[in-house]
Amino acid sequence: MITVTRKVSGFGFPLIRRMAMRDLRSGEMGLLLVALVVAVGTVTSISLFVDRLHQALLQESANFLAADRQVSSSQPIPGLFREEAAARNLATAETIVFPSMVFAGDNNQLASVKAVSGSYPLRGELIVSDAPFVRGYPVEDVPAPGEVWLDSRLFPALGLSLGDELEVGVAKLTVSRVLVAEPDRGGSFFDLGPRLLMNVADVPATEVIQPGSRISYRLLLAGAEDQLEDLKDRLADDLEPNFRWVSIRESSPRIGSALDRAESFLLLGGLLGVLLAGIAVALSAHRYAARHFDHVGVLKTLGATPQQILAGFLNILLLVGAVAIVLGLAAGGLLHLLIVELLSSLIPVKLPAPGVQPFILGAATGLICALSFAMPAFIHLRDISPMRVIRRDIGVAPLSQWLSYGAAAAGSLILLVWYTQSLMLTFWTLAGAVTVVLVFGALAYFLLRSGRAVGMQARSGWRLALSGLQRRRRESTVQILIFGLAIMLLLVLVLLRTELVTEWRNQVPENAANHFVMNIAAEDVAQVQELIDTEATSGDFLYPMIRGRVVAVNGMDATTYQETVVGPREGQRIMSERNLTWTAAKPENNEITAGRWWTADSTAAEASLELDYAEDFKLKLGDELTFNIGGQEKVATVTSIRSLEWESMSPNFFIILSPGALQDFPATYMTSFYLERKNKIFLNTLLSAYPTITVIEIDALIAQVKSIVDRVTQAVELVLALVLASGCLVLIASIQASRDARMSEHALVRTLGGTRKLIGSSLAAEFAVLGTFAGVVAVVGAELTVAVLQSQVFELSMGIHPWIWPVGPLVGGLVIVTVGLLGSRSLVSSPPMMVLRGLN
Amino acid sequence: MSTVVRAENVAKIVNTAAGELVILDGIDLEINRGETVAIVGASGSGKTTLLGILAGLDSATSGAVQLVDAQLTELDEEARALVRGRHVGFVFQSFQLLGSLTALENVMLPAELRGDAVAQSQAQEILAMVGLADRVHHYPRQLSGGEQQRVAIARAFASTPTVLFADEPTGNLDTHTGERITELLFDLNEEFGTTLVMVTHDDRLAHRCNRTIRIDAGKIISTDTPDVKAEAS
Repeated sequence: MITVTRKVSGFGFPLIRRMAMRDLRSGEMGLLLVALVVAVGTVTSISLFVDRLHQALLQESANFLAADRQVSSSQPIPGLFREEAAARNLATAETIVFPSMVFAGDNNQLASVKAVSGSYPLRGELIVSDAPFVRGYPVEDVPAPGEVWLDSRLFPALGLSLGDELEVGVAKLTVSRVLVAEPDRGGSFFDLGPRLLMNVADVPATEVIQPGSRISYRLLLAGAEDQLEDLKDRLADDLEPNFRWVSIRESSPRIGSALDRAESFLLLGGLLGVLLAGIAVALSAHRYAARHFDHVGVLKTLGATPQQILAGFLNILLLVGAVAIVLGLAAGGLLHLLIVELLSSLIPVKLPAPGVQPFILGAATGLICALSFAMPAFIHLRDISPMRVIRRDIGVAPLSQWLSYGAAAAGSLILLVWYTQSLMLTFWTLAGAVTVVLVFGALAYFLLRSGRAVGMQARSGWRLALSGLQRRRRESTVQILIFGLAIMLLLVLVLLRTELVTEWRNQVPENAANHFVMNIAAEDVAQVQELIDTEATSGDFLYPMIRGRVVAVNGMDATTYQETVVGPREGQRIMSERNLTWTAAKPENNEITAGRWWTADSTAAEASLELDYAEDFKLKLGDELTFNIGGQEKVATVTSIRSLEWESMSPNFFIILSPGALQDFPATYMTSFYLERKNKIFLNTLLSAYPTITVIEIDALIAQVKSIVDRVTQAVELVLALVLASGCLVLIASIQASRDARMSEHALVRTLGGTRKLIGSSLAAEFAVLGTFAGVVAVVGAELTVAVLQSQVFELSMGIHPWIWPVGPLVGGLVIVTVGLLGSRSLVSSPPMMVLRGLN
Repeated sequence: MSTVVRAENVAKIVNTAAGELVILDGIDLEINRGETVAIVGASGSGKTTLLGILAGLDSATSGAVQLVDAQLTELDEEARALVRGRHVGFVFQSFQLLGSLTALENVMLPAELRGDAVAQSQAQEILAMVGLADRVHHYPRQLSGGEQQRVAIARAFASTPTVLFADEPTGNLDTHTGERITELLFDLNEEFGTTLVMVTHDDRLAHRCNRTIRIDAGKIISTDTPDVKAEAS
């Protein structure tokens, strides 16, 4: 009796290299290599582009704050904050913003004064010019003490030229430059009037800062992300309740949510790209393995042990994987450069240099794809019986198939979670896919099982195709599901892209009003409107505005109510003075969430509250609010709660009252208009004619939002294109995978007298059925997944998309027929002998 | 003379949808070193299954199989592979060459799998012995059926096996080529002193062997010794 102790030597590297090279040359490994290269290339290029675009968008967004973070307050910023920031190597700057009447000789004008320290701005740049109303240039300094820079509009309004003096409070300052743009302009709705920029050192001399002044103090911060977060944690106790920590997301929710959604979408695109490429890798690996069953049988008869087989083929896989990773990284890098180059005219932002992270992500994706998607197929090879060399019908034990599919699922889950960093996104996408697989898998299988006809039905292409689909119903079901999943993932992406882009564009419609006019006296409304109509496009609303404050809730003094019912709150207080309006009709972008809107002829004093406002101050329907308006008190009952589209560029009010409550109070009016940038001088005409009105310019803000939305949209479309490429690869891989089974069957039909036309029409019919069914699967799956993603991840409203119902099956059928017939040309054109001898 | 293959009460039973199917039943045989044995029988008689079990390609349901000094029925596939690599050579009806390797690489393969120093010159020598000195760098698809079978024979003898198992070695070849391959097989067998166990339908091929074991319905129904053969002829 022998004891078998000889060391397992495994395949030598030269043999592995030879086998891999030979497989590559003969095309056996080609599709697997391409699928891996596409997986690595897609992930690398998306990650590189997203990484760079993300950094660029963050930089641009930081410009909105002129910093990475701000601490803002109506009180001076304590020295402690600056010391703690300095201790963390953070750059700081200070701004103080207040409205003030400025004087030049006999002229005066309300200006929004901003006093800045020398290091301002920390992000973005100041643009100045040497004459009003001309294009400017960036500068790195700020006004020197004793100097001011003025908005172009202030020059004609105050009759000033460069070098003249003006008065801010009691200080006399020299006008040294024209201020064209500043990064953090336009954040606040009440940052009124044209800008005057001065040095913070001159503020005490102006003596304008008095107790009760409306002043906004800001400490600007910039530096390493971890240090900023560390500072936030350190100051957590000191911030409450008077100081507010501001990041881009709080400061500009419009940009914040666009960024969030874009990030989610790009991540989803990457996720789907990985999924599709993974399916392609798995399909091509299984085909490779299936074509090597005999090969392994021979190796085993020659003495190769199962361990040697496993190690040998895994080494081949790793070798091919390594080649694919190198090629994929290079292709991804080049592709991303090409995209950056193509979009360079559209993306004026200078993209920061790419980091090494996207390359690591790409390489790791390639490795995980190879191991989790391809390895199971290679593991099967270990279990091939050597008896296959004499009995070809011996296959692979089903148990190992289950184990390997489990491993593939687990591997892909890890990859997806790691890649998206979002359990929600991964979960919902996978849940959609699994549901579709289970429901439609069962449906397709039973449909194909019913009405099984006897024989091959080789009289017509249709019958031959249908009988083939039924005979191979297991394979056909799998193929419908794979096609369906690929089309579904693409549809999900297309639908979400359309929804997102539409949503973004709706926020900033073309020619949306970009100037608001406030404080229009009631008797001036008609004339102001007339003047606006001569030069600009009027907006679609006119609101009366009345300043007032809540002084009592259900008879309880508001201060007591705040302390006892609401509790301590940062920032807003219920008794703060607010803009009130009255209107008979409900504003367009307001939705009633509780109660009802008053009737047009209501004479009762009713109030409608914004949802968050009502929740914050614990107010409900039926509560009685007492308002103090110019010394007079008015009681109104809350009869409705509204939700608002804060992202719309229209004025929104926390409190709207019924005409019966407010229409007898003296009011000023607010309207809006669209003005092109080149006609800005019209503002002076308007303000000269009606000096008491206030114009709020949001054109710069709208332009910034538009440019960000445009860039994000481009990135989204690019990702879509890349994922489409992965999707096509899956289709090709899937058709290739089923080619061998069809090949022998059709070759047999041809030897028995079947014409090429019969085979061709049978293939076309088979692919049409598969594609159409897959299209139906895809449409249902996509609608379900998109509905869940919209509500759970993107916070958009759900809806059915009727257009995809005919388009999905139609495009599915057409694409699968086209790709399928192209991939099966040799089945129809090769002599049957070649096919039967396995030489094709 | 030592025994290199011994089967004791070997049975092979498989489960099918229609119930148990007995493929081999109570097989007992011994094959001595240097002997040439033909296993013959009708299609479905179980002869190919018997060859697979004797060669360690398949396992028996019951009974014991000894190959050279290894008790195959007590070994797992990992260990059986090592026994095959050390002691067994194969020649198949469908040649079973690896299409991705040249003739030379196919012949060198068993040595490479054993982790032996690659004996390229030895492989070339054997290819020359089978008349393919000028085709060493050709791929199987560039060779005729007869040439492919010669490469397979060269590969089988390259590892100087103790026992050579052949499954219908001339089954895919025309009569003339089949005869030349038979000559080659027996010449090399003699030269290398190998034990030859062959499954065949071909009576002339069976006649060249020392012994013919006839199988029917999974049982050995007769064993013809050289004397019997002589009488029969």
